[in-house]
Amino acid sequence: MRIASKHPLLFGTALALVSAAALYGCKDFLAENATPQGTLDQGTLSTKTGAEGTLIAAYRQLDCNRTNGAWGCAASNWVWGSATSDDAYKGSEATDQPAIDEVELYHWDSPGAQDYLDQKWAAMYEGVSRANAALRLAKAVASSGQLSASDANGITGEAIFLRAHYHFEAWRMWGNIPYYREDDTDFRKPNLQSAQVVTELLRDLDSAAKLLPATPRNGQKGRVTSWTAKAYKGRVQVYANQWAAALATLTPIVAAEGGPQSTTKTGWDLSQSYDQVWTGFKAQENGPETIFAYQASANDGEPEGYNANFGERLNFPHGGPWGCCGFHQPSQNLVNFFQVDAQGLPLALSAPSSWNVRDTNFTAADLTVTVDPRLDWTVGRDGVPFKDWGVHQPGWIRAREWGGPYSPKKNVHEKASGAESTVGWVPSQLNSVNIHLFRYADLLLMLAEAEVEAGSVNNAMALVNRVRERASRKAQGCGVPTDTAARRVLVTRYPQCAPGGTADTRIAVPINDPSITWARYAVGQYTSFPSQTYAREAVLAERRLELGMEGQRFFDLRRRGIAATVLNAYFNTGVGGGAEKNRRAQFKGAEPFIAKHNLYPIPTNQIQLSKIGGQNRLTQNPGWPQ
Amino acid sequence: MHRSATPPRPLRAGRVRSLVAAALGLLIGLAAPAVARAQQMSVSGTVTGAEGAPLQGVTVTVVGTDIRAVTGGNGRYQVTAPPDATLNFSLVGRRPVQTSVSGRGTVDVTMERVAYLEEVLVTSYTEQRRSDITGAVASVPMEAVNRQTNASVLQRLAAATPGVTVDASGSPGSRSTVRIRGISSFQNNDPLYIVDGTPVQDSYVNWLNPNDITSIQVLKDASAASIYGSRASNGVVVIETTKKGLVGPPRTTLRVRTGMAQPVRGYDDFLIQNSLDYFQVVKASYENAGQPVPTNIFGSATSPRVPGYIWPNNCGPGGAPGPCNTLDLSGYSYPSNLIMPGSTGTNWWKAVFGTGKLTDVNLDVSGGSPDNAYGVSFAFFDQTGTARYNEFKRGTVRVNTEFRRGKISFGENMALGAERAFGGIGNDAFGEGAILGKNILMQPVVPIRDVAGNFASGKAVGLGNNTNPLKHAFETRNNVSHNNRVFGNVFGAVAPLPALRFQSRFGFNVGQSTFAGYSYPTPENREPTNTNSINENQREFLDWTWSNTGTYALTYAQNTLNLLAGTEANAGRDRFISGSIGQLLNTAIPSRYIQDPLGDPATKNVSSSGGRSALLSFFTKADYNFADRYVASVTVRRDGSSRLGPANRWGTFPAFGLGWHITNEPMIPRSRWVNDAMLRVGWGVTGNQFIPSGRIVAQYGGGRGETFYDIGGNNNSIIAGFRATALGNPNLKWEENRSTNVGTDLTLWDSRLNVVFDWYTRKTSNLLFDPRLPATAGRAAAPIVNIGSMRNTGFDFSVGHRAANWNVTFNGSHYKNEILTIAEGRTEFSGPYGVRFGNPVRNRVGHPVGAFYGYVVNGFFRDSADVANSPKQAGAKPGRFKWKDINRDGKIDANDRTIIGSPHPDFTAGLDMGFRWRSFDLNSTIFGSFGNDVFDTQKQFYIFRNFDTNVRKDLLANSWTPTRQNAKYPRLDYTDTYSKDLSSFYVEDGSYVRLRNLQIGYTIPANTPWISRALVGTRVYLQGENLFTITGYDGLDPALPALNVTGAAGDVRDQARGIDVGTYPSNRVFSIGITTSF
Repeated sequence: MRIASKHPLLFGTALALVSAAALYGCKDFLAENATPQGTLDQGTLSTKTGAEGTLIAAYRQLDCNRTNGAWGCAASNWVWGSATSDDAYKGSEATDQPAIDEVELYHWDSPGAQDYLDQKWAAMYEGVSRANAALRLAKAVASSGQLSASDANGITGEAIFLRAHYHFEAWRMWGNIPYYREDDTDFRKPNLQSAQVVTELLRDLDSAAKLLPATPRNGQKGRVTSWTAKAYKGRVQVYANQWAAALATLTPIVAAEGGPQSTTKTGWDLSQSYDQVWTGFKAQENGPETIFAYQASANDGEPEGYNANFGERLNFPHGGPWGCCGFHQPSQNLVNFFQVDAQGLPLALSAPSSWNVRDTNFTAADLTVTVDPRLDWTVGRDGVPFKDWGVHQPGWIRAREWGGPYSPKKNVHEKASGAESTVGWVPSQLNSVNIHLFRYADLLLMLAEAEVEAGSVNNAMALVNRVRERASRKAQGCGVPTDTAARRVLVTRYPQCAPGGTADTRIAVPINDPSITWARYAVGQYTSFPSQTYAREAVLAERRLELGMEGQRFFDLRRRGIAATVLNAYFNTGVGGGAEKNRRAQFKGAEPFIAKHNLYPIPTNQIQLSKIGGQNRLTQNPGWPQ
Repeated sequence: MHRSATPPRPLRAGRVRSLVAAALGLLIGLAAPAVARAQQMSVSGTVTGAEGAPLQGVTVTVVGTDIRAVTGGNGRYQVTAPPDATLNFSLVGRRPVQTSVSGRGTVDVTMERVAYLEEVLVTSYTEQRRSDITGAVASVPMEAVNRQTNASVLQRLAAATPGVTVDASGSPGSRSTVRIRGISSFQNNDPLYIVDGTPVQDSYVNWLNPNDITSIQVLKDASAASIYGSRASNGVVVIETTKKGLVGPPRTTLRVRTGMAQPVRGYDDFLIQNSLDYFQVVKASYENAGQPVPTNIFGSATSPRVPGYIWPNNCGPGGAPGPCNTLDLSGYSYPSNLIMPGSTGTNWWKAVFGTGKLTDVNLDVSGGSPDNAYGVSFAFFDQTGTARYNEFKRGTVRVNTEFRRGKISFGENMALGAERAFGGIGNDAFGEGAILGKNILMQPVVPIRDVAGNFASGKAVGLGNNTNPLKHAFETRNNVSHNNRVFGNVFGAVAPLPALRFQSRFGFNVGQSTFAGYSYPTPENREPTNTNSINENQREFLDWTWSNTGTYALTYAQNTLNLLAGTEANAGRDRFISGSIGQLLNTAIPSRYIQDPLGDPATKNVSSSGGRSALLSFFTKADYNFADRYVASVTVRRDGSSRLGPANRWGTFPAFGLGWHITNEPMIPRSRWVNDAMLRVGWGVTGNQFIPSGRIVAQYGGGRGETFYDIGGNNNSIIAGFRATALGNPNLKWEENRSTNVGTDLTLWDSRLNVVFDWYTRKTSNLLFDPRLPATAGRAAAPIVNIGSMRNTGFDFSVGHRAANWNVTFNGSHYKNEILTIAEGRTEFSGPYGVRFGNPVRNRVGHPVGAFYGYVVNGFFRDSADVANSPKQAGAKPGRFKWKDINRDGKIDANDRTIIGSPHPDFTAGLDMGFRWRSFDLNSTIFGSFGNDVFDTQKQFYIFRNFDTNVRKDLLANSWTPTRQNAKYPRLDYTDTYSKDLSSFYVEDGSYVRLRNLQIGYTIPANTPWISRALVGTRVYLQGENLFTITGYDGLDPALPALNVTGAAGDVRDQARGIDVGTYPSNRVFSIGITTSF
């Protein structure tokens, strides 16, 4: 201390220098602490694993997931394509997800509807963004020699296809949308005109078709092929009313149907029977019917069931074995639509002024009416066996006055399929039933539409009859459940389901099987399409019967330009003898469907976010507020 | 003026750590030569304040010896000293007194308070005399702080300090939102706390025992705070706990306080409590909609009755929905077939809220010798919430020591804290899902328990989907948060010359916090859950700060120059691990662990994350004083932050301050009226870099539930996928805050009146913020960028009067926050907190942060003619709200929404009063907030009945009808999905005035008969907090805490202020306490 006291300045300076040096000496002190923790960096992903994984993430976005919210982004489009149409109600009860009521009643500029629109918009562009990221990585990794040419082409083709799919989804919602490619850096691009978007879509689908192999890479069934891209191209052309082009695209695809899949064979066909289309049985999933589907998985190690049918999880009967939530209930109008005449043809065509008179619950007791068997694969109704879960009962309905007496059925797994999740919030509503994004019957009926527009109504009729013939093969059977209590209820009601003590566990049976006592089924074949107008109606009716509750109906009505007529009649003025506003009181509040409803409003939030220099770069669709 | 009594200046600089004037007296004693012992005599006496009260804790030293004593509660002391000795009396906040014994046996002394400008404050690395401070520095009156019972010292700052606002909920140990002069950033506006020289950023500071605190200074402007440059842009709160002993035997102080708390208001004050009254609301809302009234619960709409049972509710004819009055109870089974009795009126508020208890025990021991000093304290604090099963407990131990060896001194301050918080309420668990929010708005017909005594809920149609709030509280009663903390520092100093001193201080903040929670099944709910799960997490962190400073004091004639230079390094890392598992076989607490056999291993989920960051700083400061007339200070600090872009890591933060001590000018005549007057001007730049670390580069990740996919179509296997999770910005740089402060300190009327007034303006630029990108850019977190600017302008003042038997201080503050720019081309963005019917906040240029946004109510549609003649509005009908056509385009749409309110008060004020009469004292604090708006989102529920919740008592009587045009509420109509849109209807004036505190104390005087002498000086007191509130606010409590909202760039609670989502109300506390020393 003597030095210190004698030479205080020297000592102090030395001390200051030493401490400064100690701190500054570790020059990297700040840099060392700057690395993000617990994340991956660009370099790690610039590999084959990174490029492939980024592509996988682009596929995953096909359905809602834990980071992009709830039901507005469901792969099935049940909010946008079904609840808004004459197929279905939001269902459930008034106070649950009231935003979907706003969507259903065409209050699309309400805050609730805007939230949902924003969800869908964001989910679709996240898909685009993931696909574009995969494209950028594939390019970088391929140029560094870490990818084989076929993998590079495969990744690129799949990513371009997915990008087209997400844009298509956005386009059929909003029409005038911006189109983003992998080298875009300005994310406030103005929107394109609807027709320009179609050009972009077709361009991408053509590129994808050229790059993709004819069979899925690595034999993984979820991947798209050159056939998928071609089929999707036909779909886009149909949506754009490019009938001649669609005919040219789809005809060779159908000509190449059947398998095994190769450069000359699509591998696609109608599945054996209708019950095999929406199913949890693994053996039936990804059958010949599947063109493109969201591959749901359950019990895959993910602890919350997020990869299961996440977007559909509300759409189960509220009671019975599920416990929640009773959304997406079939409308009375849809149920009535399944009635057939003496020829087994849709009553809606043969009795246009009276087919929709019935206002009351259509139960198993109504045996005087003959119906298309697809009714009982599409709609759960009282007294009818519900796959192999037992008899659909009144107590399964959440709020009958609000949502009517029917339950959705297609997305529900068969108990025996083992597709149910064991984890997650209400695991009984989580399953691995794939969500069809494009299936073969849809394609056939689109081709039928193109044939009608080309004037070849007989070709169209053949396609329709082919779909109907498949529908006539199987109807809902006893499906006696393994659950003792449910079995007792079913067997008490239908003793024939337990002949001689052996339970009839068949879920699907021939439509005239003697075990069926809850319905009379018939599916007739058309013998002629007397006019182009009739043919148009028949094809559209067939689409409704075949694709009911699959999120297609609203878009079908809109692209055919008949949404206003059909939907105003559905809610208000009445069609076929009934109007839905007289069945469900809340529909008195529906806004009339007018020209502006032919496109959803672009979320105003996104318009705001597109501003540059005080100017919106996104332009709102006609009739909607900025 | 008695400036001559001020100790010589070099001493101030020489003994930096000596906080109190007492220590200065001690130094005088040390410096003086030893005196040979002559004959000794006993000297005793009483020390009183100028106002007459005995003073406790006065150190009495015999100058030139080691002899000393400390006065007790009666102000008495006794020493042995030579007859010609000089006695020195010293005490914090009092002017030291020296007097000669002159052979007297009794020496009574009166000590005056130190004049305002002569107070010595610990500010920035050193201590300073108030009159040398040119910035805006407020000392928090510790008496007012100690009169409150909150667990967190931060919550006790409210009302006491001008320019400082504190928001917190009534949950014990809840988080505090302390704001100094408004807010200056879109995110992370917490001030920097310097506890015993160690910086810490924390919204709770619960680990600090308020009784350990000696002083708190609030550095409000940049010229005062910029020495802490890097993190000082929100102001700095300097907390000193150095309650070390003085020379003498151990002195022990025991403080015990116990009390009871109740919520200031309950929902049962204004919600319907009778089931049939509620039915009338339902009935009207169906009838007005032209719909049949539901009969499934109350039966016929014309003769409703409370049903025997509300579940199962298919008791109508033929199993149709209908009321159940007789039922075979043998069918009951849990959980599949529950039966719930109808209630004539459940008081849900009383079911959950009641009386809480409070216990606070504190024992400290301190003492020392000339060469060392120590202080040790032990404390235990326990408060149960007013909500059931909610409790906060804390134990702390503190050891402060200091050793002096000639020119070297060293020591440590160290606190150990252990906190536990119980209950599912959580500090920030506001909103719908917690017991408050909509859950507490259960209908009165829903019973608390079902027929078998299990918890019931509203399972029938029309009873909503809420969870029984009592069940929620009960089932989560064992959810526990632990927070263990070791906080402190070690320091050493050497003073080779009296004027030169070097100090090195190493501070540490080591913590571990854990949480264990339980999610319970709810088979009784409308949307039942039949699974259970547990989750737990643990965060541990270590933060260290090493600072080295040197100070040098130069005196030449009337010039004094104090120089300070230093370096500081700070680094922190933390690691967070969380896990969960579901479907536990046994939910008892000993089985709540994450292990495969205890639950379903498929539900197991484990993850960890972490963060690292560092700061490096160099700083220097010069304080110049000429003849106590002119004061100037200059500060420069250079900071580097690991969080910012490599090229922009370093920022330089200069500041200067000028002071003019007007009354010390020779030409200014002395005046009795103006004793002291000082003018101050300060300017400076502070910085902010408080964003998550690692945001310089893009980050990638994903997860099994969002990027992994079953590409093989196997149904039960997924393969890995990746996505961009956050975009980086390599150019991140410092956010800068430039502030100017002009202030004055006045001492008037024989030092009886103190006035402090400060005006300021501060502008923040290069705001660090993550503006939302359009969705076309994908969902990766937007990069944090430096954009935008905002300005705060305001003033704060305090006026204090001190007389012999009473004192009063009034303080007030006002600020105006305005967003100046956001980004190129953008003038607004939405807030981060959405409610059921939209987003209530829009940050817009020209308006304050967190402004409310929506339609403007322009009355009701009177009739169909009015509907036809008004601008076209969706859903327009008589009795529904009519919105104002803001853009005058003849139609009402989303473009007609506008700014409809601000959560920022125009003015806040505190009034602190004290009276003394004989041995009694009476103190009170009143706080007022004026001109702030509250966005009452609970109206979604208790007006618009979303989710079939309970409603306000006056809803039926005050709703629009054709004959009640001037109604308070729109027409009851359950199909009206329009009037509930966010609008000015939700906005209410949140002004209030509240009696924060009223305390009556009694100090046992020396001459009290039949009282042991040991108890003399003991003070007992009774106190009440939040005894009354005057407000026009219709909701539960206008004193709202800020919500816990975090964005990717950090804490954004300032964008969600004043939003009532159902928050834990403040407590009305009655307590009794005793303080005694021996």
